[in-house]
Amino acid sequence: MHELYIAECIVKSVSKSLPQNLPTTSVTEVRVQVGQLDAVIPDTLIFVFDAIKRNSGLSNAKLNIDQIEVVCRCRGCSYEFGVELPLFLCPRCGGGDVEILRGRGIRLTGVTVQEAEEN
Amino acid sequence: MEIPIIRDVLEESNLRAQENRALFDEHGVLVVNIMSSPGSGKTMLLQKTIPALKERGFSSAVIEGDITSTIDSERLQPLGIPVVQANTEPFGGDCHLGSHLVQAALKHLDLSAIDFLFIENIGNLVCPAEFYLGENRRVVVLSLPEGEDKPLKYPLMFRECDLCLLSKMDLAPHLEVDVELMKTNIRKTNGHIAVLPISAKTGEGLSEWIAWLLRARVGQS
Repeated sequence: MHELYIAECIVKSVSKSLPQNLPTTSVTEVRVQVGQLDAVIPDTLIFVFDAIKRNSGLSNAKLNIDQIEVVCRCRGCSYEFGVELPLFLCPRCGGGDVEILRGRGIRLTGVTVQEAEEN
Repeated sequence: MEIPIIRDVLEESNLRAQENRALFDEHGVLVVNIMSSPGSGKTMLLQKTIPALKERGFSSAVIEGDITSTIDSERLQPLGIPVVQANTEPFGGDCHLGSHLVQAALKHLDLSAIDFLFIENIGNLVCPAEFYLGENRRVVVLSLPEGEDKPLKYPLMFRECDLCLLSKMDLAPHLEVDVELMKTNIRKTNGHIAVLPISAKTGEGLSEWIAWLLRARVGQS
């Protein structure tokens, strides 16, 4: 299970990305994109994020996961296609020399913070 | 208020991996991250590989990754090489080695005295594939008894590796496994991966594996 480690990395990324005048407790939502190839189970990631957030100042934050489908480009015929995992084969020419354009990696894409006047 | 951010969540992990890589390059060490499911024969492979490299004048060291225990390190002790055990149990029992653990292990190794560093990752076909440690090459060991379907079930692992060693080839006559189908399935996930059948027990494929390592070392400089 790599979700715990990834959740810890998300918490660190949020702390590093927040403007200095904003406390981590003001964060109500954390948005991440997770590539389908990364074999992250969203429910598990949310479960462990919720488990560790209390001790990290992000106790008010809800984790929102956007799963990104794997898209490749064939180096042989330049065709772009959505990958039906686990096959990395070009559906047009059958070639196996394909580069991954999307669907790999975990990215923090934004946070929502509660504005001071709403307090 | 929504604040947009674009940040690689694993940036710190990758930064430490890059620091590791800089150290490896500085000392001219070829680092191979060996991954597989538990029991595929990674340690046995190292027990045969390291003496074969020594015969050719190359010295090795090993970082042994496990959740707990020093069993694999003890198996390698008779080789008389530096072995550093990296256990993840004190850090929450992660099922993969992180670049920070490799960084900590490197403090116990004299990189100027070795040519090859093998990182035996924790037995697991999912998580280790996710994390770059600073290595030069990635190798997945897939043993015949695991079955032909494993590359299709764990595509990231096979996608991320440079070489797949099909291990325990000596068992082929006793199993109903279709080795050609296994190779086809591996290539469906990665058109570039090299596939090498090997048996640490009989020595089949060992010289080709050593040749692959030596070529990788030449390619590095």
